[in-house]
Amino acid sequence: MAAVVAPAPSAHIGEVIVAAKNIAKYFDVSPPWLNRVLERSGRQILHAVDGVDFEIRRGETLALVGESGCGKSTVARMLVGLYAPSSGKVEFFGRDLSEMNTASGRALRQKRQMIFQDPYASLNPRWRVADIVAEPLRTHGLIKDEHAIKARVDELLTQVRLAPADKEKYPHQFSGGQRQRISIARALATHPEFLVCDEPTSALDVSVQAQVLNLMKDLQRELGLTYLFISHNLAVVHHISDRVGVMYLGRIVELAPKRLLFARPAHPYTRMLLDAIPDLAMSGRARTPVAGEVPNPLSPPPGCTFHPRCPHANQRCRTEAPLLRAFRRAEGESLVACHAVEEGRI
Amino acid sequence: MSRAPLLAVRNLRIEFPTRRGALVAVDDISFSIAHGEVLGVVGESGAGKSLTGAAIIGLIEPPGRIAAGEVKLNGLRIDNLPEAEMRKVRGREIGAIFQDPLTSLNPLYTVGRQLTETITTHLHVSQAQARKRAVDLLGSTGIPAPDRRIDQYPHQFSGGMRQRVVIALALAAEPKLVIADEPTTALDVSIQAQIIALLKRLCREHETAVMLVTHDMGVIAETADRVAVMYAGRIAEVGPVADVIHRPQHPYTVGLMGSIPSLGFESERLVQIEGSMPRLTAIPAGCAFHPRCEKAFDRCARERPDLMPAGVSAAACWLHDTSARRAA
Repeated sequence: MAAVVAPAPSAHIGEVIVAAKNIAKYFDVSPPWLNRVLERSGRQILHAVDGVDFEIRRGETLALVGESGCGKSTVARMLVGLYAPSSGKVEFFGRDLSEMNTASGRALRQKRQMIFQDPYASLNPRWRVADIVAEPLRTHGLIKDEHAIKARVDELLTQVRLAPADKEKYPHQFSGGQRQRISIARALATHPEFLVCDEPTSALDVSVQAQVLNLMKDLQRELGLTYLFISHNLAVVHHISDRVGVMYLGRIVELAPKRLLFARPAHPYTRMLLDAIPDLAMSGRARTPVAGEVPNPLSPPPGCTFHPRCPHANQRCRTEAPLLRAFRRAEGESLVACHAVEEGRI
Repeated sequence: MSRAPLLAVRNLRIEFPTRRGALVAVDDISFSIAHGEVLGVVGESGAGKSLTGAAIIGLIEPPGRIAAGEVKLNGLRIDNLPEAEMRKVRGREIGAIFQDPLTSLNPLYTVGRQLTETITTHLHVSQAQARKRAVDLLGSTGIPAPDRRIDQYPHQFSGGMRQRVVIALALAAEPKLVIADEPTTALDVSIQAQIIALLKRLCREHETAVMLVTHDMGVIAETADRVAVMYAGRIAEVGPVADVIHRPQHPYTVGLMGSIPSLGFESERLVQIEGSMPRLTAIPAGCAFHPRCEKAFDRCARERPDLMPAGVSAAACWLHDTSARRAA
């Protein structure tokens, strides 16, 4: 296959691999038709993701963080094609994913893979590891010869620091961290260039999480991978990412290089999140608990959706939704969706 | 501290009988909690931390059982009480907060009914007084409009609000000790901060001691006075929270602290403890940590270390055995 040329390993940030162009995903969560008629209620549409724009360049790790229900996993699923966007488009190597349902798109689709959160649910318990890891090879018909498949599986298991002998075992014989390695081996089978990792370590214990995070960093360097990393854990994101997007109720509220975001967060929600996390280095420090909770996404507040919890909200914030705009400071440039930041009020 | 400890656990051993012999899930652990003290218990899944909490309130699921040791509350043994007696201790003397607020609340009863039931069971008050107390409790946990919310059902509350209700329930009869098992794990960070602040404030106001069981070292760092680190059913290290975090003595604690990503500094790689915690069926002889330990020597594989003084803390590690070091 000509398509399986591994890119030169390099830390250099290259061309745009994936671009999300104003993507949105709406879910119809209405009660059944008869209930709607009897209760005289209308349809209910959940705006899980409401217009998200970003690009990921070769060799880079973009992280999306946010609390549950902010739409980060929905974005991940749209990027790998598990959901079709309700509007907007996802471009992969400059081509629209939804127009790739042809034989020519197949080669491109192998270039993106996904690692799921729960290593207990994402591996078939009745299959041996050899079959799990070889499945993408067989599905895509990448390797026909069974001996060659076996050799490739051995190579993949070694790559994720497992023993080739492990391929005869079943998933239940492995610990959570080892299972996540098997998922990674399966994702790497097709020589992908872009991996979507949806909370890959949040089901794992910290010492095992460290093993998986280190492995992911090593693989990125060795294979020149590009990651979209979804997490709710800011400390993990701080460790693994190059750029961070903070999501709130289906929108990106701040997108900035990692160091800038953690050193000088601009959006009030980002500041709140950073204040809220417990951190060992700051032991004894009292956290600033923030009032309020994430509103019901079925009836988001008007204007800026964060305004009911925001200490800087004014009349404009209550009526007009802010757009994601470039915000330049001496330390660097970030994208922020906040009227107060734009007006220089904070 | 001149007063006797509120809770004293001595040589507690919890077993699960199986066809192939008993599995020892908690192996000979001892610790105490003083009045008003917050003891954090950390460890990875399967370390036995939740089981220890369950043993104290007498809620070990059969076939698990306490095989040896004793649990004393205010000097009185509570591990061998008949179920009827234990029910009086539970709620009155020891409150409990669990990870998932949905499973600790009855979905068929209003929040108010569950609170007043707890209050009237343990305190001699009338229905009207109990209801007033329930409204006050809900208010003190920061639930807005408690007099209206009290007549609602658990499903009408959000996750964070439900956990507030569970905290109100745990504190309803003014217990001296609260066992909080992963109280914030199911919650988002911003809500987690609110709940931790609430728990700290209420326990300080009522001088309630807390046994805080969690896998999240960050939560321990800002909440606990002392911390016990558990590994494979034993306490690996116990000491004041700042010492355990900044000057860990046991090699496992050292690795654990290094493996937690921090915002305070940037590192290319996290400290990695190779392998994973042994299963209960295959706990190694000697120190259970020795196959993963970089500093292990021959004695570690033969003899099991007990807690011994190590700096300000105590660690179960032969590296801290001063008598051997002197002999060597």
